[in-house]
Amino acid sequence: MDLSDSVLDHLRQAAAQPDLTGTRYELESEIGRGGMGVVYAARDCQLERRVALKIFDATLAGEAQLMAQLEHPAIVPVYEAGTLPDGRAFYAMKLISGARLDRYLARQPRLPSQQPNTRVAGDPGLAERLRIFRRAGEAVAYAHSRGVIHRDLKPQNVMVGEFGEVYVMDWGVGAVAGTPAFRAPDALLDRRSDIYSLGALLRFLLPEPGPAALRAVCAKAMNADPAGRYPDVPALLADVERFEQALPVEAWSEPLWHAARRFASRNALLLWLLAAYTAAKFLLFFLRKF
Amino acid sequence: MDEDTAIGGFADRFPSTQLSLVEATAAGLSSEAMDRIVALYWKPVYRFIRLKFRKNNEDAKDLTQGFFAAALQRDFFPSFDPAKGSFRNYVRMAVERFAANQHAAATRQKRGGEAEFEPLEDQAAPVGSPEQAFEREWQRQLFGLAVDDLREHSEACGKQLQFQIFQAYDLAAGERPSYAELAAQHDLPESSITNYLAWARRMLRGFVTERLRGTTAGPNELRDEARRLWI
Repeated sequence: MDLSDSVLDHLRQAAAQPDLTGTRYELESEIGRGGMGVVYAARDCQLERRVALKIFDATLAGEAQLMAQLEHPAIVPVYEAGTLPDGRAFYAMKLISGARLDRYLARQPRLPSQQPNTRVAGDPGLAERLRIFRRAGEAVAYAHSRGVIHRDLKPQNVMVGEFGEVYVMDWGVGAVAGTPAFRAPDALLDRRSDIYSLGALLRFLLPEPGPAALRAVCAKAMNADPAGRYPDVPALLADVERFEQALPVEAWSEPLWHAARRFASRNALLLWLLAAYTAAKFLLFFLRKF
Repeated sequence: MDEDTAIGGFADRFPSTQLSLVEATAAGLSSEAMDRIVALYWKPVYRFIRLKFRKNNEDAKDLTQGFFAAALQRDFFPSFDPAKGSFRNYVRMAVERFAANQHAAATRQKRGGEAEFEPLEDQAAPVGSPEQAFEREWQRQLFGLAVDDLREHSEACGKQLQFQIFQAYDLAAGERPSYAELAAQHDLPESSITNYLAWARRMLRGFVTERLRGTTAGPNELRDEARRLWI
């Protein structure tokens, strides 16, 4: 049968729609798609609530089991998993209202490069960006402790909810190639590959050029040689925390002037008191003399 | 569960009858398997030759015929190596080589002459490259054959009404009737229209997958090709 372009496009779309016959869900709309499957907004007719429904090849059904085992505040909870009448697998999960990290940042102006700590109206600010990074990193660290690696960490797979909550999505179990800019150049993807991707995620979050110490953290996490990276995610997060507390980071041998400046900013009150005391002493010295 | 079957549907709902290319080749490519390849690729090959080499209708038909004849003679299909890419790309590249050689041979025969390009007189304006046109034609052919399979299947199992509703809605060339209009026309509840369409689409998806299975090397290529198809 000869099909026109419009009929062909319609058939491709109609036949791709998940067949939810016999399930408790009603399809609403597509909200995203990736290498692992397509995510739809749907209505759970039994519990009268909206859910996110992920549809994927039955051969990757292990992903749902894996997701269901991960219980962490930054990992979206799975409500139910099953198989559709058309043979594809699905799982229903909490529908997050918020924005993907790339879109969340795109709608905010970037931090001015010369003043990385200056907050622009509406800008998440460096501290907030680092909070998002730490939350995502904690989810990955937790998953690693359960023997699960993500394989495709990137801004599109991190969601920022309307209350500021952070979720890491799209946990992979299949042979996912990853996204070039965020994928480690490793032949086999393992925990160290996730550390590489976290480094790329941190670099994405930083303003250009970003603080030198954090750039060094990114460079260490993204070392082409897996052995040169942080040994685990907690070690990476600890270095970021050290930066936030104005302590020297493990990834960078800072020059003396930088150490002095960091010391000054960390002990500003003490230095001001010392300066005031010295000035007072000088003043007293001159008053006595004349 | 058989992994192959899981891609298209449950074994008890949509029985798999097709061997993958690798399995079919190992069993000595049958004429039925060859027919399926030719049915799916004849038009994409013809279209590609017309656009890429600017051949007129008759020359493009001859070249297409020549390509499949040569492919059969030279055991071209069994020498496909799935490690090097998809079967679809393998066919397209082979056609390109074959048609280029034929074109060069024809040009040499014209003493001192330049290659003669035929005008694209009766062709619709090409959308994108010949390679894109090849893929689009391949999709069109794949779905067209699957619709034929669905019609035959509906007749064989007494589900002509389901097919009629599918035809009226999903194959409508212009404006689609509403579910309510279809329900009134066939004196059915609206929920039956929803269910009939869901059945037809599920079966169509299964037939597309079956057609793909017979022209791909195995589960991985089948899955990759299926992903490219579904919008």
